[in-house]
Amino acid sequence: MSDSQSPEGAAKPLLELRDLATWFHTDEGTAKAVDGVSYKIYPGETLGLVGESGSGKSVSALSVMRLVPSPPGFVERGDILFRGESLLPIADEDFRRIRGNEVAMIFQEPMTALNPVYTVGNQISEAVMLHRGLSKKAAREHAIEMLRRVGIPSPETRVDTYPHEMSGGMRQRVMIAIAMSCDPALLIADEPTTALDVTIQAQILDLIRELQEEAGMSVLLITHDLAVVAEAAHHVAVMYAGKVVEYASVEELFEKPRHPYTIGLFQSLPDLAKQGERLTAIPGMVPSATNFPSGCRFRTRCSIASDLCAGTEPPLVSLEPGGAHTVACHHLEEASKL
Amino acid sequence: MSDSQRSAPLLEVRGLKKHFPVRKGLLSRVVGQVKAVDGLDFTLERGQTLSLVGESGCGKTTAGRTMLRLLEPTAGQVLYRADPTSEAVDLFNLPKKEMRALRPDLQIIFQDPYASLNPRITVGNAIAEPLLVHKIATGSEVEDRVAALLKRVGLRPDVANRFPHEFSGGQRQRVGIARALALSPKLIVCDEAVSALDVSIQAQVINLLKDLQDELGISYLFIAHDLSVVKYISDALAVMYLGRIVESGSADQIFNDPQHPYTRALLSAIPHADPKKRKKRIPLTGEIPSPIHPPSGCHFHTRCSLAEDRCRRDWPENVALGDGHQAACHLVQGASVTGA
Repeated sequence: MSDSQSPEGAAKPLLELRDLATWFHTDEGTAKAVDGVSYKIYPGETLGLVGESGSGKSVSALSVMRLVPSPPGFVERGDILFRGESLLPIADEDFRRIRGNEVAMIFQEPMTALNPVYTVGNQISEAVMLHRGLSKKAAREHAIEMLRRVGIPSPETRVDTYPHEMSGGMRQRVMIAIAMSCDPALLIADEPTTALDVTIQAQILDLIRELQEEAGMSVLLITHDLAVVAEAAHHVAVMYAGKVVEYASVEELFEKPRHPYTIGLFQSLPDLAKQGERLTAIPGMVPSATNFPSGCRFRTRCSIASDLCAGTEPPLVSLEPGGAHTVACHHLEEASKL
Repeated sequence: MSDSQRSAPLLEVRGLKKHFPVRKGLLSRVVGQVKAVDGLDFTLERGQTLSLVGESGCGKTTAGRTMLRLLEPTAGQVLYRADPTSEAVDLFNLPKKEMRALRPDLQIIFQDPYASLNPRITVGNAIAEPLLVHKIATGSEVEDRVAALLKRVGLRPDVANRFPHEFSGGQRQRVGIARALALSPKLIVCDEAVSALDVSIQAQVINLLKDLQDELGISYLFIAHDLSVVKYISDALAVMYLGRIVESGSADQIFNDPQHPYTRALLSAIPHADPKKRKKRIPLTGEIPSPIHPPSGCHFHTRCSLAEDRCRRDWPENVALGDGHQAACHLVQGASVTGA
């Protein structure tokens, strides 16, 4: 995947989040899980969304799909644009035209996402009967075809099996078959390989890439694993505590990470460290979403934080014209020495 | 480490087997055996880390638990020497009472510390429990020991009164480590101990494990599926497939000169945190077969691109490759795989 799209190219973004804030109002206070997040995904590209647990990466995607449990979760401000149009004013009934049809999603644990009492064939058929108005018979044929496309052996018999009869890798293939059944323009993959063995992970990442090239769709790949991003994404947005702290092309980010948090993530990776050498861990842990620090949210774990960081939140600024690489840090000069 | 210590390893596992009966029907008759662990040999050196790696279902967790007699073994020997000079004892032959006396030496930490800590017992009491059970400390001494242990794993001593749910995943894993450390063990089995942690927290816990090893000379049996962590932390490695070890050697031998086709495919599947290194993978099609009906001959032949007739027929013997490097493959001849 060397032909990565440049964000300043002529293409308009397929999906754009503008200053999106999704908050959860709980007894313990307001959890600002997503708090002013902007990112764009261009047609045919894969955007990797990286961050630790609690960074808000999944909630931002669930907000796009309108799958945030509400209450307690609400979109407080900002906008979600799909093909240039805002998704927020669309009524719930009309939103079904988009969800599962133009935008589809797969999850980490396919066993909990699949319905255990329906055959996999039924679950694939359901989507195309609803969105494409296919007859039951045609939908079954389509389901078999989809199972074949995602590499399930003997799809004619597999179509009648139940999720529990399949392995984890097979179930994730079925999830992908359901998601792909209506030829979505955007596939949101939320930790699609986290629960899988490394060998099966490689198969699933290859499958997503093949299907993407075939169909020209965009992929929002949510993961905590930088190595998965390096393999599969064109661009990367790094999230921390409900904010995007850095955005760049995958080559640029891995070569010249600029934000102290991104740098810290790389230094934490055991596969980049030499054996026997101490890992440079980021001290402390991700702060609670109900009680983020003032100013820069990373400052409590940052070795170069100053009074400025406590007082003022750093804006996401472009390092060069065009916005190919953006970073939110007051101390880029010092960060380059980390 | 001196040569004299090397000559008397902490633990030698010989022919370790653990089979689970498969029962079916009204009378729960035994209709088959799941050969989860089917003849393992490995040696754990003092103060070193040996990793067992492989896909889910390969038997690595069962191996770790059976070795500690947390599961009753089907066959085999585990020869344990508390000191380099002491006589070896076979853990599987020890009467329960003597085994219990040895338990403090042999500890285990689990993947999900939340599931292994009692939610209604404060972490201070959870750490004190092994001290009291094994009568290592009494009275106010216990409190001091708990405080010291918490401090040692990087937690404030005043968290002793808190309950497990008040901790994050990384902190709970630190509590799990403190609990294992309470009895000054010689060996800790780390069963996917860092797999559930975020990368920045994972690095903290790996550093802690390394520090403890350097300071206290603890040996680790590290059971993991994340090969980048394994590469970083291990001295020696054993790669498992369907209940057997297919290749073993030093971390350097396995990662830089893998010989078994399975090891090669497994290593090539690891994604690299470098977009310029998107490399050609050795495709490993299909999935690990059921251990109830393992394939004949070499268990790996159904997924191996190099398989020949004899691979379908005969289980390959271990081939010594020098310096302790071994691989069980018909196609391995001394130095390299023919035709690879």
